[in-house]
Amino acid sequence: MSVCEAPRIQRRLIRRGLSLAPLSDPSCHPGAEDDVLPADRPNAEIIPLVALVGPPNSGKSTLFNQLTGLRQKVANYPGVTVEKHVGTVRLPDHRALQLVDLPGTNGFAARSMDERITRDVLEGHVRGLRAPDALVLIVDSTRLEPQLMLVEPTLKLGIPTLLVLNMADELEQRGGAVRDDELAERLGVNVVRTNARDGDGLDQVRDFLIGVADRGLLPPRPCPALSNVVTSTPLPMVDQFTERRRRIKEISRASGFVLPRSSQLTERLDSLFLHRVWGPLIFLAVVVLVFQSIFTWAVPLMDGVHILVAGSGAWVAERLPDSWLRGLLIDGVWAGVGSVVVFLPQILVLFLFLGLLEDSGYMARAAVIADRTMYRVGLQGRAFLPLMSGYACAIPAILAARTVEDERDRLATIFVTPFMTCSARLPVYALLIAAFIPERRLVGPFLGTRAATLLGLYILGALTAIATAAILRRTLLRGPRDSFFMELPPYRIPSVRSIAIRLYDRSRIFLRRAGTIILAVAIVLWFLTQVPQSGGSPPSIDDSLIGRMGQMIEPAIRPLGFDWTIGVGLISALAAREVIIGTLGTLYHVEDPTQGSLQLQDALRGHLDLGAAVGLLVFFAFALQCTSTVAVMRRETAGWKWPVLQFGYMLTLAYGFAFIANWLI
Amino acid sequence: MYLPVDTRSHSQVTGIHLIHSAVHDPATAESRLVDITLREVVELVRIDLPEDQMEPLLERGLLPGCQLCQVRRSPSGDPIVMVDGTLLAIRHEVARCLCVRRPGSNGA
Repeated sequence: MSVCEAPRIQRRLIRRGLSLAPLSDPSCHPGAEDDVLPADRPNAEIIPLVALVGPPNSGKSTLFNQLTGLRQKVANYPGVTVEKHVGTVRLPDHRALQLVDLPGTNGFAARSMDERITRDVLEGHVRGLRAPDALVLIVDSTRLEPQLMLVEPTLKLGIPTLLVLNMADELEQRGGAVRDDELAERLGVNVVRTNARDGDGLDQVRDFLIGVADRGLLPPRPCPALSNVVTSTPLPMVDQFTERRRRIKEISRASGFVLPRSSQLTERLDSLFLHRVWGPLIFLAVVVLVFQSIFTWAVPLMDGVHILVAGSGAWVAERLPDSWLRGLLIDGVWAGVGSVVVFLPQILVLFLFLGLLEDSGYMARAAVIADRTMYRVGLQGRAFLPLMSGYACAIPAILAARTVEDERDRLATIFVTPFMTCSARLPVYALLIAAFIPERRLVGPFLGTRAATLLGLYILGALTAIATAAILRRTLLRGPRDSFFMELPPYRIPSVRSIAIRLYDRSRIFLRRAGTIILAVAIVLWFLTQVPQSGGSPPSIDDSLIGRMGQMIEPAIRPLGFDWTIGVGLISALAAREVIIGTLGTLYHVEDPTQGSLQLQDALRGHLDLGAAVGLLVFFAFALQCTSTVAVMRRETAGWKWPVLQFGYMLTLAYGFAFIANWLI
Repeated sequence: MYLPVDTRSHSQVTGIHLIHSAVHDPATAESRLVDITLREVVELVRIDLPEDQMEPLLERGLLPGCQLCQVRRSPSGDPIVMVDGTLLAIRHEVARCLCVRRPGSNGA
């Protein structure tokens, strides 16, 4: 392994067309289902393709969602979209167009993976996707001048282009102005104003799309290579940019562009959130609030789900004769799936907070506050945002790291991302904490022992991520430190719709996993507890097939204080972390069906002592028990080396620290 | 360091340092962005960084000739600047490479 590894991976990725195949597992990644390329659909009708292009955070995905009815993730920070997404627009006359949403880009130097995806789509170099027949260039009109720098290189493609001045309402509210007709004339493109979030101006965009559909497909043509350098004269890069900037400035002046006043709200909030003393304190308070509410706000909702699950189980049990089917449904399915489903409210509370932080614009400020730490570690400040999204799920977070320009930085970022506590760990933590940590107040009403333990586990994950990154950047991935800078978007009031959609999508993903993976594991496990039958009755759990299999692996986990049931749980958790809860639910219920179907906590206390429970928590904090993450790592690094190294490293840490925890406590 | 397609020669990159290092002189009206007081509007004169590190700044409108204003410092003391309506958080290592002058002064 050498320092040269990073460029080699880049070259491999480029050869493979930048890993644009659909995701292997869309379970953590809403919208990934829409990634199917037209060429992958047999007999797909060839229809014109329109590409959405523009600087980051200008509203491309919002417009895409409005026009296609799809639900790509949108948020208020640059670099949310890191993959191309294809959708279909139905025009009023029922004709169809393909629209491709692209990662934001400020230019065509394509330094980062996401920017390369944009360039490749525009140049028509992506397998299964025709070169675009038209472009919609969408810019944030409150920052018009720098954003118009994209116009010249984009027009070089020589295809019909519509310039969309988005966030036009914000421009006017803050006293800015621009005359679109003048702008259109001088730039030589059609210009419309929109407010994509509220759907204003979409009809004019549709009019443009109708025109594209009328013209039909553009004939195949050689696409010019996009680059920031647009003139053929060999001027130094700075001068090329300065020249282009001068031309843009002239055009915008002639079009009566008035720069809007800076947002008062943003100034006031920044003076608080980025204050030398208050900023970090508020950051800390926000984090504590999130964890405390996971344990307090979610409880009534969890009780509600619990009552539903237990009640429906009892209802079914009463109506079924005492047969194997009742055993399967109650001991297998209800005990297994039900014990996982009760954790949905906690996950939703987490996503509610993540959504509010991302949509308001606060997350970008948090990145600024954390930047010095990132610098000392040797990571790009921009890596903070992918790492934060790792709190939801490692898979989109690993993809989000495509915005990190330096390849070594990107590798270090995605290597440590699985240490960030993903939401699949949350139910496991919540269950073990509720079973083993008595609730006591720590800091008045603000922080209890359980929330503090949970917070501690999240901090443990984050610190390990930071330490690992620091080691990597000084050994395998040594390289120069990159200069951080980051655009700070204005604060915006999060849209209820956007947050609601996220919670809905997350519930769907969570319940789909409960209804597929966890259900399947519960059913298989239940059958394994029922064989071999002797004299027509099932064996005791220790003599069952699963019991014998578990006892075979028990010696390996004995040093951690785990018995075979936990061992079976750990192996089943390789499918997805929260599966262990379903597995234990099924195993313990079969073991002692007199217990209520959800008294998992009591059963756990019978199987683990405190040291082993802490060991199990630590094991979950460190181990890479997620096959989807391994698959995505393989794809994003174009090989098995990094995922294998990562899996081995994380397993070693997990085993080592669980052993120490069990031995100490 | 970034892309294999980057064919700019090394001498071109280091050349920028050579040309401009002579201009850094306290006698001129030029100073570094790190030394400018808050809220003061200044004009960017040049960026003393290699081209590959400079390009992202250029793309975002941080170009020689542009007006910028340091609106605040982050809790860690790094500058946050306003350029053409965009707020950019910059590490002070980069801010040291941004050479600025007060408008109206003749500079070098």
